[in-house]
Amino acid sequence: MMEKVVIIRYAEIHLKGKNRGYFERIFIINLERALKGLRHELHRTSGRYLVEKFDTARYEEVMERVGRVFGVHSCSEGLLVPNDMDSIFEAAKCVAPASGTFKVETHRADKKFPLTSMEISAEIGGRLLAHNHALKVDVHDPAAHVYVDIRENGTALVFGSYRPGAGGMPVGTAGTGLLLLSGGIDSPVAGYMMAKRGMTVEPLHFHSYPYTNEGAKEKVRELAALLAKYTLVDRLRTVNVAHIQEEIHKHCAADLNVTLLRRFMVRIAERIAGKVGAQCLITGESLGQVASQTMEGLTSSNSVATLPILRPLIGFDKEEIIERARRIGSYETSVLPYEDCCTVFLPEHPAIRPKLSYIEEEEAKLDVEALIEEAMGTLEYIRL
Amino acid sequence: MIYLDNAATTAPDEAAVARAQTFLKENFYNPSAIYGGGFSVHSALKGAREGLISRIADPAKFELIFTSGGTESDNQAIFSGARRGNAVTTGGEHAAVFESFTELKNRGVEPRFAPVLRDGRVDKEALLALVDEKTALVSVVHVNNETGAVNDIFALARAVKAKNPRTLFHSDGVQAFGKLPVRLTGDIDLYSVSAHKIGGLKGTGALFKRKNLNLLPFIYGGGQESGLRSGTENVFGAMTFAYAAEKKFATLSADGRRLLKLRERLWELLDKDIFVRISPEDGTPYILATSAVGMRGEVLVRMLWERGVVAGTGSACSSRHRFSRVLAACGYDEKTMDGALRWSFSPATTEEDVERAAEIANDVAATFKGNL
Repeated sequence: MMEKVVIIRYAEIHLKGKNRGYFERIFIINLERALKGLRHELHRTSGRYLVEKFDTARYEEVMERVGRVFGVHSCSEGLLVPNDMDSIFEAAKCVAPASGTFKVETHRADKKFPLTSMEISAEIGGRLLAHNHALKVDVHDPAAHVYVDIRENGTALVFGSYRPGAGGMPVGTAGTGLLLLSGGIDSPVAGYMMAKRGMTVEPLHFHSYPYTNEGAKEKVRELAALLAKYTLVDRLRTVNVAHIQEEIHKHCAADLNVTLLRRFMVRIAERIAGKVGAQCLITGESLGQVASQTMEGLTSSNSVATLPILRPLIGFDKEEIIERARRIGSYETSVLPYEDCCTVFLPEHPAIRPKLSYIEEEEAKLDVEALIEEAMGTLEYIRL
Repeated sequence: MIYLDNAATTAPDEAAVARAQTFLKENFYNPSAIYGGGFSVHSALKGAREGLISRIADPAKFELIFTSGGTESDNQAIFSGARRGNAVTTGGEHAAVFESFTELKNRGVEPRFAPVLRDGRVDKEALLALVDEKTALVSVVHVNNETGAVNDIFALARAVKAKNPRTLFHSDGVQAFGKLPVRLTGDIDLYSVSAHKIGGLKGTGALFKRKNLNLLPFIYGGGQESGLRSGTENVFGAMTFAYAAEKKFATLSADGRRLLKLRERLWELLDKDIFVRISPEDGTPYILATSAVGMRGEVLVRMLWERGVVAGTGSACSSRHRFSRVLAACGYDEKTMDGALRWSFSPATTEEDVERAAEIANDVAATFKGNL
């Protein structure tokens, strides 16, 4: 009897002392959510989790979905067998390479097992050598491993490799943040990074229909759906700021267009944060990347915020952000050619270091409250 | 809703669809099948083919290949007709022709592009100057799909043949078929048409071809469409096309006269402080191209959509590119191209439609202008 399983090991949860139970409970819920729709059983064993009874033809999909869950340190494709030496050897034959050097490493949780770890390794290694003459043992620098894990419940796990997981902490263990998700490269990466630290990330998108088109919104929807694979939050909120842009354009100094719009976005985001129970805002801003992301620009946004604004990319170069976007898989969608913010209203020379007094003076020309109220009326809730 | 984007596609003609229903239901047989049912479908398809040919050509002199649409017809004509030497087209072509010509380069044929005049018609002398003893094919759009300008393809074809009798002449007739009176002459070797611009279905088109002209198969297989376009025929599409054409051609002249008046009525009502006219007066009655100079046409289109008026910015197939290649070839500046708005009609368009559309367009554009 031999069953194919996926072995999951977790990352930092063991550091959590007395709170460990809480973290583990949420971790299990997240694993279950990631595996939703796939037949499986999830079991907790000493210090790790096993996915069992899944359709072995969909093994890659199980590995992939599980590998994306934050808190997973690594996962392995393994074989679950009774813990007698014949069964372990049968499994080891499947895991061992066809030729080349290898090493058997044994871990023995069941200390009552008649052989020691060293003895088990030697015995299985010896049998493999006798079975396949193309194999050679190399205990110092083997090309392949055969890991044997003797468990306490009368079973053993045999596997050949570790695949690194997403790392981080389970989503849902570090509060909630509202992500300002544009159609660009940066904000999905920012959301990913906060979710990786265990934050529940609720995405919010600002659009300016009819100045921007349906395609732009669809693109953001795709990005949100992609992000949801990691954040496990399968919803998106959108707000239309077209009228705010028109009013700013009509009444305020052109060089402040973007600066003022961002202050509106922060205020609206705070209102929505209140609705969804978010304790902070998350943006993809990186210092100096564009005119509105100078220290003065960031200060201007911060000055209308009461919640902290987390900017996980603040010290990143564009190259570094792109590299991460590629790894997450959002880059291809982010670079699709749709305008996420209409260039109709883009100033030719945006203010790079606007003084707060100047900004407030220009903003005073608008009925800020009424415009926010009106924009809130365009709030849409989209289930991805 | 007031639908004025008929050059992009028309609503399928309900009567034509209803008549063709039988080929979806009881007469679903494969036209190549050798039993009675198959033969009756084969006969119906033959009838549709002959009917379509006779609308614009002499069935004794022309054949017709059913295709998946105007784009495929253009591709078939160009890649079959231009296999060596050089090929000449214009800067005012639809992407189906223009991009195929660009591809010719990779196939060892030199593409040549003749300039167009301000209204979108090709510069005849410049076109002829590009034709030489090595010219395999000349392709000129019949009705410019963005400006509505009409090329005199018959005179052009005659002049081309006078310069090199072996040069093939092709025309993309997608915006002309069923809209302008057309009679294919012997100088025209190939002519592309599409069903969904005249009440037929998307995914159906045809290539008219002079008899005795040898083409290369475009799709290899079971030998359907005289071996030139294999694959089981799209019977429902072809039948709907034939029925829609039958109806369309019955009122072609009257529709043309009426739509000419509507086109001018729309122009008369549009606010001249905002809109400039791109379409020539002697262009097709079915298209009025305008520009709200300095505004973004695509934004206006969405604003109009929200108010129940549907118009286009130009060629739907290229609306992803910011500026129209065709309008640029006509010599328009960026601001005019940016504001391009194309109104296109069908026999279903009424006077109230254009009056209401003009009113809303003026209002929407004024609002937009006020926001700038």
